[in-house]
Amino acid sequence: MTVYETDIPGVGRKFEVELGGGERAVVVHHHDGRREVFRRADPEADSEQVFDLTAAQARQLGSILTGAHFESVDAGDLSVPLGDAIIEWIEVPEDSPVAGRTLPDANVRNETGVSVIAVQQGTETVTNPGADVTVEPGDVLVGLGTREDHEALETLVRGTASGPDRDDDA
Amino acid sequence: MAAPDLLLQAGVVFVVLALGGGLASRFGQSVIPAYLIAGVLVGPNVPTLFGFDFVLVESREFVDLLAELGIVFLLFFIGLEFNLERLAAARDRVLGAGTVDLVVNGGVGLVLGIVLGFSAIEALFLAGIVYISSSAIITKTLIDLGWIADPESEAILGVLVFEDVVVAVYLAVVAAIATSGGAGAGTTDLVISVGRAFAVLVALVLLAAYGTPLLERLLDTRSDEQLLIRVVAAAAGVGGLALALGVSEAVAAFFLGAAFGGTSHAHRIERVITSERDLYAAVFFLSIGLETDPALVAGVAGPLALLVLVTTASKLASGYWGGRAYGLSERRSVRVAVGLVARGEFSLVIAALATRPDVALPQGETIAALAVGYVLVMGLLGTVLMRYSGVIERRVVGSDGGGSGGVGGDTAVE
Repeated sequence: MTVYETDIPGVGRKFEVELGGGERAVVVHHHDGRREVFRRADPEADSEQVFDLTAAQARQLGSILTGAHFESVDAGDLSVPLGDAIIEWIEVPEDSPVAGRTLPDANVRNETGVSVIAVQQGTETVTNPGADVTVEPGDVLVGLGTREDHEALETLVRGTASGPDRDDDA
Repeated sequence: MAAPDLLLQAGVVFVVLALGGGLASRFGQSVIPAYLIAGVLVGPNVPTLFGFDFVLVESREFVDLLAELGIVFLLFFIGLEFNLERLAAARDRVLGAGTVDLVVNGGVGLVLGIVLGFSAIEALFLAGIVYISSSAIITKTLIDLGWIADPESEAILGVLVFEDVVVAVYLAVVAAIATSGGAGAGTTDLVISVGRAFAVLVALVLLAAYGTPLLERLLDTRSDEQLLIRVVAAAAGVGGLALALGVSEAVAAFFLGAAFGGTSHAHRIERVITSERDLYAAVFFLSIGLETDPALVAGVAGPLALLVLVTTASKLASGYWGGRAYGLSERRSVRVAVGLVARGEFSLVIAALATRPDVALPQGETIAALAVGYVLVMGLLGTVLMRYSGVIERRVVGSDGGGSGGVGGDTAVE
């Protein structure tokens, strides 16, 4: 099965999926999130619009088509069982103060309130990282905490006092 | 100074635009001709109508500023969407179709300009006005009619992208020639002026080619508000600087857009800037209408009719040829032909340049009046031709088009 992808200047992207017998499904992704689905019976036929979907409708339909519908959970729902706590991740920059140290050593939990529940090192995921795990630049810390906790963690890991909008990360 | 008054004038301007746009949408027409007509109706040249005119005359500075931003953002957005790699990937087909489009329609425009008694530079303006199709009107109609899913839209949009590049260079050259005093000025003035234009352009092209890391840093913010302000700052700042140096602000905006288009923020910029562009561009179209004297347009009805007839025919011919060069069937090539007829925003950008005081064309007002009449007719004609292209397709193709038309919908009932 071949899928053709084309940029449409000023509109978005177009995907064509071969359905056999010259028939194609044509999907147009508009920049504003709108998704149009067309069917073209044969190469010389005019495409007939089948669906005109909003971004939300398209996600829903897409998850049903892939069979993932019952697993599909909105990211907003994920945080509900944890109360105010959310799961966030942050990459450790080259010059981070925590690089080369273990998490207890860097006092991450007490300093920021974030529980680091996993460290992603390359392709390897270390869960429940303890005193035996040294954080290296490029690692991704996966933490559980409130939004304020995560902001404190970001400050600690980046070694700066800047907020989320950083222009100068030297 | 007169703040309450100014706000009232802004209100009048946007109420007029809202009414015009609403009417156009109701009748399934493009909004650009509607904004133009709205501008003419409330402008100083129709003093007897509605009594709005005196309000708008006072507000020239306000309208002029927003209209100028409209030009800058129209071109900035085109640059943002412009992708050299995409153009290069399809260059064989785009180059063929685009070159024929340029030579045929630009050539016809030049000849018509001379025939109608314009000077060489004025004929160059006219050539640009009749050459450049309207990306705004055509793209909108492609989406409305569902052609966007069919191969003809790739040929049409390919030619439009080619035209965008041509018009960027064209505006740079024409603005430089015209502001240097045109035919009357010495050759050295001309060389200096054109040279300065290209120096600025080369700087912007270098920015697009090598400045991406710098721009990435400049735009690195998670706040859409900050992104919007930074982009507007860059566009207005660079456009204004270009104007101060005697270079077309539209061209500078185009290349700045292309530079931003190379960053990872391109789609976000598009999202935050679209409504700004639409707002300012609407005022720009209105401002062109404001400056238009209907009597002057009526006075050029003869030349206008000639322009419409000849350049519709030339666009149809070059478009059809371009479609065939793209490897499309006869029927789809007819669609490419009718799909390129609409003229709009860029013809008006060129017309706006023709009336600028520092350009001082002897017949600048006439050219602008021609351009307004031309866009009014071609904007409408272009959408109507696309809507009823089935009739033309059957004329041209005969039996070939018959089989494929009705098959689509009913067979999908499984």
